[in-house]
Amino acid sequence: MQTLQRRSDTWLGVTLLLSTALHVAAFFVMVWLQRLSPDLGQVQTTYYVDMVNLPVASPQSGSPIPTPTPAREEVATAPQAGPTASVKAAPKAAPMAIGKSPSTAAQSFQERLASLAGKAAEERQAAALASIREKVAGGRAGMPGATGAQAGSDYTAYLHSRLKDAFRETISYQSRAPFVAVRLTIDGEGRIVQLRLLQSSGDKVFENAVQRAISLAQQRIVPPPGHTVYQGSFVFKPQGVTHQ
Amino acid sequence: MDTNILSLAGTSPVVLGVFVILIFFSVVSWAIIFYKLVQIHKANSESVRFMDFFWKTKRFDTIAAQADRFASSPLVVLFNEGHSELKQLMDAEGKQEQSGVSTDLGGVANVSRALRRATNQEVNRLERYTTFLATTGSASPFIGLFGTVWGIMVAFQGIGMTGSASLAVVAPGIAEALRATAIGLVAAIPAVMAYNHFQHKIRVLVKEMDSFSTEFLNIVQRNIAGK
Repeated sequence: MQTLQRRSDTWLGVTLLLSTALHVAAFFVMVWLQRLSPDLGQVQTTYYVDMVNLPVASPQSGSPIPTPTPAREEVATAPQAGPTASVKAAPKAAPMAIGKSPSTAAQSFQERLASLAGKAAEERQAAALASIREKVAGGRAGMPGATGAQAGSDYTAYLHSRLKDAFRETISYQSRAPFVAVRLTIDGEGRIVQLRLLQSSGDKVFENAVQRAISLAQQRIVPPPGHTVYQGSFVFKPQGVTHQ
Repeated sequence: MDTNILSLAGTSPVVLGVFVILIFFSVVSWAIIFYKLVQIHKANSESVRFMDFFWKTKRFDTIAAQADRFASSPLVVLFNEGHSELKQLMDAEGKQEQSGVSTDLGGVANVSRALRRATNQEVNRLERYTTFLATTGSASPFIGLFGTVWGIMVAFQGIGMTGSASLAVVAPGIAEALRATAIGLVAAIPAVMAYNHFQHKIRVLVKEMDSFSTEFLNIVQRNIAGK
């Protein structure tokens, strides 16, 4: 019994100090590792691209109808490389063929093959061009002299997209099915000069969210086409933003 | 958004309190782990050396004189207790023989009880502080979880006040809150592992003490029966 009582825990104090030192060292190692690791920096803003109503960077008056000439040049340049190269390669290949084989039948066969390839390429180009023209004709086409403020015009779609992006970041509501209809007036410099509340379900939190979304969108929008005044109405719902 | 995981800026006081408690648990449990590692290692190694010495040296008095060399071994405590009890028994027996009173004192039973008592006290000594490891292992994750729940509550309150549900608003608060669970696990995992390890080592030592007690009693009984 006396032997047991003599035994004390002197080592416990030492190990307590050791443990404290170990924890402090571990903390500093973590700080050091944190500094070594590449800085994650600020969180980058995520941009959503509306594939249906693709906004344009510099919206022009209405949607420009593509003139046939540039479209043909643009389309023609891409597939030209293959067939043209093969057509041009044929005469060059001919002397080599002659050098190797004097047979004129083989030469004429090469020429016919090259011409057939050229015709096939031209047909493909024509088909592609026709397809693009059909798509352009069937889609949204701007009216000559339009201001871009009409429904379906590119500026409306552009603004709609900006509002939707901003609204995703600020959306907040308390009631079950809130909605807010607003009419925006944008001056020639791209500033929202008037925001009129047309209709609201009465959810103040949702109204604030809409207001913040419009303020946020204002920082990103470009002036209307032709620096004219734009007016448009939008309905905000939890499901998204629609143009009225 | 602050991406530094060590930053405490903006952390709620309750979560900070949880951090302090968990760090305290971690520091103390690691201190106990180091202490027990040294204690049990010395107990094991000196027990092996003492057993060699015990079997080589036949006389109890010689062993008792040299026992201090193996002070960390629990077997030495058992030997000292048994030897002390045996000496008292022998002295009492001598006095009774002189006075002509009966000598049947149940001497082996006395020594056995002394050895058992010494074994229990050595087990208590070896198991001291290990309960703190068990407590750390079981309670720390829950304390950390409490900090996380509280942190998430505060984060959601902040989200409600700002009215924004974007990732940039939601994520930092939740990330901060989750640190409490992480620290709780960091404190608990070594404590649980160490507790299991020490329990195994202590069980082995207890078996060695039982074996030594049996051997000691055999020797005592042989000597008393031989007289």
